[in-house]
Formats: sequence, structure tokens, C-alpha cells
Amino acid sequence: MVPSERLELPCVHCGLPTIASAGDDRSKLFCCNGCRQAYELIHGWGLDDYYAIRDQTGGQATSVTDAETAYDCFDDAAFLGECAPKPLAGGRLTTELSVSGLHCAACAWLIENVANRTPGWDSARVKLNRHSLQLVYEPGSIRLSDIARLVARLGYRLAPLSDQSDQAFAIENRKLLMQIAVAGFCAANAMWIAIALYSGEVAAAAGASGVAAEYRLLFRIAGTLLGLAAVIFPGRTFFVSAIASLRTRTPHMDLPVALGLSVGTVVGVGSAVLDRGEVYFDSLTMLVFLLLVGRWIQFRQQHRAASAFDLLLRITPQHARLVESEEDAGRLVLVQSLSAGQRIRVDVGESIPVDGDIEFGETNVDRSLLTGESVPVRAGVGAEVTAGTINLSRPIVVSVGATGTESRIGKVMQSVETAMSQRTPIVQLADRIGGVFVVAVTLLAIVAFAFWLPVGLAPATSNATSLLIVACPCALALATPLAIAVTLGRAAKRRVLIRDGGVLQRLGMLGGFQRRGQLWFDKTGTLTEGRPRAELVQGDTDSLRLAAALERQVCHPIADAIVALAQTRGDAEGSHALVVNDCELVSGGLCGHVERRRVIVGNQSVHEEHGSALSEEVQVAIRECLATRATPVIVAVDGVARAVLSVRDPIKPDAARSIGRLREAGWDVGILSGDHPEIVRGVSEQLGIEADKAIGGLSPEQKLSKVTEPFSGTTVMVGDGANDAAALAAADVGIAVRGGAEVSLQAAPVFVASGKVAGIVELVSAAKRCKWLILTTFAVSLSYNIIAVTLAIGGLISPLIAAILMPISSVSVLSLTLAWPLFRSTNETP
Amino acid sequence: MSVLYIALPIALLLGGGGLIACLYCIQNGQYDDMDTPSVRMLIDDKPFDAKRADEEPDSARSERRE
Repeated sequence: MVPSERLELPCVHCGLPTIASAGDDRSKLFCCNGCRQAYELIHGWGLDDYYAIRDQTGGQATSVTDAETAYDCFDDAAFLGECAPKPLAGGRLTTELSVSGLHCAACAWLIENVANRTPGWDSARVKLNRHSLQLVYEPGSIRLSDIARLVARLGYRLAPLSDQSDQAFAIENRKLLMQIAVAGFCAANAMWIAIALYSGEVAAAAGASGVAAEYRLLFRIAGTLLGLAAVIFPGRTFFVSAIASLRTRTPHMDLPVALGLSVGTVVGVGSAVLDRGEVYFDSLTMLVFLLLVGRWIQFRQQHRAASAFDLLLRITPQHARLVESEEDAGRLVLVQSLSAGQRIRVDVGESIPVDGDIEFGETNVDRSLLTGESVPVRAGVGAEVTAGTINLSRPIVVSVGATGTESRIGKVMQSVETAMSQRTPIVQLADRIGGVFVVAVTLLAIVAFAFWLPVGLAPATSNATSLLIVACPCALALATPLAIAVTLGRAAKRRVLIRDGGVLQRLGMLGGFQRRGQLWFDKTGTLTEGRPRAELVQGDTDSLRLAAALERQVCHPIADAIVALAQTRGDAEGSHALVVNDCELVSGGLCGHVERRRVIVGNQSVHEEHGSALSEEVQVAIRECLATRATPVIVAVDGVARAVLSVRDPIKPDAARSIGRLREAGWDVGILSGDHPEIVRGVSEQLGIEADKAIGGLSPEQKLSKVTEPFSGTTVMVGDGANDAAALAAADVGIAVRGGAEVSLQAAPVFVASGKVAGIVELVSAAKRCKWLILTTFAVSLSYNIIAVTLAIGGLISPLIAAILMPISSVSVLSLTLAWPLFRSTNETP
Repeated sequence: MSVLYIALPIALLLGGGGLIACLYCIQNGQYDDMDTPSVRMLIDDKPFDAKRADEEPDSARSERRE
């Protein structure tokens, strides 16, 4: 093989690896024209700081796509719906739109600064958590569509906000925060009142005068009022959920919490009114406050992961160009407004918005979104095309068949939703313990009461009630949500987004309660790079240049690989200048005239069909390619084969090692792919996966049935493409990796943004550690409860000890959780 | 020590005032976005260059119309 001279350097704008030759200027290297434009725009504004801020905050710019999308509809109030601009003073308009492609603070900085430098666009306020942009502009000097176009050139896409769930989140978030504020106020004030009372008691015990009776009463009444306020206003949440759990007969952690709170309140108020016994208000307010804080951390963490998915772009375009005839320029309409039988035109490079039949034109269609097949399919008049596929070669006119949820991609999405709703809710260990806890604590209280009854009714009641209060499992209730929230947060820092905490439980169970799990990988883009690379095996660079000139005419991964190869060999300019005529895509290759020479680039069958002469040398090179499991591409000039290229989709560098580690952790690893079985076998051999576990040539439906096969353990599906959507949703845990179609991210509860297979290994081991963390914190908090209960039965508990024990148990659970090594560097094991 | 009869309600009232202000802020949406303000204060400190702002809009406008 010819040694490769290529270098891979990150694109200056988006950081994607870009092929460069040694002489290129590293500070001006772009993966595509869109990124170049975005860079020039940012540079022209003097906003280069964006790159510095991005690198500091660990962000990543979105790769800008060249495709020109229509934004005129942003001036149409009907398109914006709820987001239609509202007038402000001075004739200005304001609106809030959703932005996709935001990664970090640098993105917010960039958009806000661009607004400063654009006349007519008065202000922009980016909300990173909502992924939205609040903007004010002067309709006289700028239109909303101009703003949308400008923002799109920076790599962000605006869309009308349509998320009702976000509104619900904001309301829920405010409610929780207000509860925390009230509980915090009560707890802090109750605490200093309690300190006055306790120090008085300590002083009295030491022989000093202590607190005078009248002031003692004042403190007790003030404290009790604060305690009552904490239990009645913010603490109500626990009673509501405890009653709900009683009604549905599902044990819940809030049940023992509510029991402890209500007993404490009744006894505390009773003692305050009667002016004897203990009032407990300091413990109660602290309990409510800590529990609410834990609840809020969990709530926020879950939402953060969920919103990252919800805001991903739609897969199918929202607009279509409605035409009357082939020559008609047409007008843009919303896809929802189309009805069957109408005609739309789809230009080259656009994705087809509807299911339908081609009326005019002949083209090649990239169906990879639906089938995972990377090779384009030829489609002529009468051929059926589906929404979400991309028109590659010529403009076509499509008669509309089905749109939206009726289209094939829409049905896949619906099956995704059904698969998600069918999943049985996980019964959390904490809640099951909570159920047992209530019974155990009640029984123990009865035992304590019976034990002390011979001594007298008063000590019996007092000891039984103090037992009920100190046994309130504050730390236990905090343990699970905190551990899961912390794991989600740390995973997000490592660019693994987890939508629901149940995933950790399902992944972490392995090794503890189950023996084996099944892990299925998709091939393209998951185990392999997903971007083929070409190597020159045999032949001269001259024919490579001719081939590159021809391949430049089409849009296909293999064509891109050949052009990239020609570029690294320094022939880029040469192939640009060549005149190409009647370039034609045939099945498995390309034919055309370059500089009046007939050039055919393609696989063996294309050349056999066209009668190209394959010399002995070429035959040897082809066999060499096949032996290394690469696809041979032959270049013939004027009917004689002149060069052989090997095209392969390289396996990700960390794949083999990661698969080895997953196996050590007890997972059965297999491949489910829509690709050709031969290629799948080649990959599985290199990765050491058994041949019967590496299955190729599967349709989305077949993948789904493979994943839902009855299996005793956890089934995990790792994939990226829309063809995996159903399987990702149906698996016990679906993991989407970067580079895939957006649809899989909506279907899968986990998204590995780094795209590395090692990310999955980290996730699996973190899930396991998270399980141990939960078990440890359970043990710690239970032992606190056991100590407290034993003391209460022995009649040794005092309100002071209770007030110290309770926060200490919560604090130890909290510090354990924060100090736990959930993620370890994968570099540890070579 | 009878000052306690005045001091305790005053302390609670002051605290209550703070609480009400806090509740108002939450209700007002000031706590809705916990991510952006924390980083915005780090990056906004670069003074906006007024001279450049005068020059830039024209080139920005011409670029936009391309």
C-alpha cells in the first residue's frame, strides 16, 4: 500500500478532524465552506474571543452546513404561532425563539455580541438552560428572517418555541425554590431559637440560673410556630405524596417521612400548648429543608439532561416548495398544510419533506436516515420516496402521498413513543425500603411503648413518640436521589447525557443481582468512524485526479473520501480545473467525460458491465483490497483500468479495547447492522466478536425484534441512525452516540456526545459504582437510624441528641456522595 | 431581658422581609436560569469598543446582504 501522507487537524471553527496537507496554514483550516463563512463572519466582527472562551469553557462549535434553508417564513405570523413578535415601546418588536446548536457560554456570548453589532437588532438574551433566545428588534430596519439567516450562518438554528413542557418546568422549578426559601427561613430561625433554649438547659444543668420560665415559653411558642409553618407550607409536599402512595398502595420514601413529621408536629404542638415535654421544631424544620433541597437537585438535574434532547432539530424539513408544474418556481408552504396529490419540488441537497412518488425527474436518493444504507439509491419517475431521505443529484417533483405522522419516518417515531411508554416503571430500592420502614418503625414504637408502660404512661408515650421522630429516614430519603443526581451531573461533564436516572439502575444491576447482560452495537458510526477513507493501492496520481474531478460532481461519502485523497496528494487545484461532461451515477459507480476522456469509477461489476480492461496488476490489487476487508474502487480511463483505490470505514481506535473491557464487566457484546453481512463479519473479526453475534443486513424492524427477544438480563442497544430509533427505545437501555441522526437521540435515554466507545465503558462502570454508592449511603443512614432507635427504646434520647443526629446523618450521606469516585479515567488500564 | 419581647418579633419580621423579597425574585423569574448569568459575568467584562462598533455595522450589513 502507498503510505499515507495526510494529516488530520481540527477544523478551526467546529473542531471536526479535517484532512490537511503539511503546508496548510493551521489557523485557516476548515472542514467545509459553511465553517469558513462562519469563521469569516466572526472574525470580521472582531469577535475572535469566541474561540478563546469556547476553549476555556469546554464547548464546541456546531459544524455549519452549507444547505441554504428558507427563512422567509419567519416573517409569517402563522408560522411563528405562539412566538409571533409582540410590540414594545418605540415601534420595536420582541419575541422568544428556540435556538439549537448552543453548547456553552461562548455560544451565548457570540449571539449576544452579534446582536450588538447588527443595526436594527437591539438586544439578544440567550438562556442556556432553556436553549432559547429573547430578542428585540426594529421591524423598520431588519426583518426577523434576516436575523434567523444571520444566526444560521453562525451555525445555530432558530425555530418557534413550542415546548409546553418547558413552561411546566419553569413553574415547577419556581414552586420548589419558593418552598425551599420558606423552609430555609423557618429552619434558620428555629435553629437560633433552639440554641437559646439548649444553652439555657445546659446552663441550668451546670447550676446557673438558665432561662427564665416566661422567656422559655416565648421561645417555645415562637419556635413551634416556625415549625408549624415549615410543616404546613413547604412540608405539605410530603403529606400529599404519602397520601398518594397510600391510595395507590405503592410504598414510597415519603411515607415514613410524613409519619415522622406528623407525629413530631402533633407532639410538639401539644407540648407547647401544655408547656411541658419536648417541642422538636428545630429537627422538623431542618428535615423539611434538607429533603426539599435534595428533591430540587434531583429535579433540576433530570430536566437538564431531558432538555438537551427535546431541543434537537426535527428530522424532516418543516417547509416544502409547492409547485404547479415542472417549470414553476413554486412558493414555500408549511408541510402540515400539504394535502395528498399536491406537487412539491425538492432541490439537490435538500431532504424530502413527505412520502410520495416522483412525478418528474430522475435522481439518486440517500436513504441512510431510514435504512442505514450509505449507498445512494436511484429513483426515477414513479419511484416512491420517503420523508427524511436526501435528494442527491437532480431536482425532482414529488406528488405528495403522506406527511407528518402518516409518513414512514413518522410511523417509526410513533413506534418509538409507544416503546417508551410501554416500559415498566422501575421500582426503586429506596421506595421498597420506605414501605418496610413504616411497618418496622411503627412496630418498634409499639414495642417501646409496651416496654415502658410498667414504668408509667408518661415516659411510655414520650419514648414511643421520640422514637417515631428520630427514626424519620431523612438521610435515607436523600440517598438515592442525591446519588443519581450527582452521577448524572458528573456524566454530563464527561459529555455523557443521561435523560432518566433509571438507566443507571438498569446498567448498574449487572454483577450484583444479574449474571449477564446483552449489549448490541450498531456498526456504522458507532464502532466505525462512519466516514470512509480512500487509499491508493495501485496506479498513478494522474488517473486519481481524473477520478476526483468526476467524484466532485456528486455528494456521497465514498466520493468525498476520493476527493479528500486527491487533495492530500496535492492535486486539488488540478482536479478543480478539469472540465467534466455528462457525469452519470450508475449503480455502484460513476461514469463521465473528464477533459474529453471517458472515465469510469466504480466497483468491479460496473467495470464488467462497461467492458473495462482489467490487467493482471489491477486484479492483484483488487484481491489485495478484498483480503484486507476494504472495498476496491477501480478507475478506468478510456476503457482501461488505470488505478485501484481501497475504501474502508476505519474502526474507531478505542473500539477493540473498550469491547474487551465491556466483556470483562460481564456483557455479551454483539453487532446488529443494516450493512452488508460480509462487511459486518470483517469488523467483528477485527474486534473479536463471535460470528454468530455479528448480524448484518437487518431492517429496522428486524433490529427491533432482535432487541426485544426475551432475555433474562439487561439488553442495551448502542446506535446512531434513524434505523436504530425503534431498537434504541425498545431496549432496556438505549445509548445514542454522536454523529447519528437526531431521531436516535430522541429515542435513547443516553447520549454519548464524545462519540467514543470508551464513553460507554465509563458509563457502565459509573452505573456500577453508583449502585455501590447508594447501597453504602443506605447502610450509613440506616445505622444512624438504628442507633437513634436503640437510644429511644432505652429512653436515652433527648431532643438535643435527636437534633444533632439528624443533620449529621444527612451531612454524612451528602459528603459520601460528593466524595465517591464515580468516574475514573479510562487511561488507567493500558 | 424583657427586650426579647420586642427583639424576637423584630428579628422574625426582618427575616420575613428578606423571605418575601426572595419569594418575589423567584416569582419574577430571576432564578429560572441558573446557568447563563454565572458565566455571563465572566465574559461580559470586556468593555465594548465604541470605535469599532461605529465601523463594524457597515461591513456587517454588507455581509448580511450577500
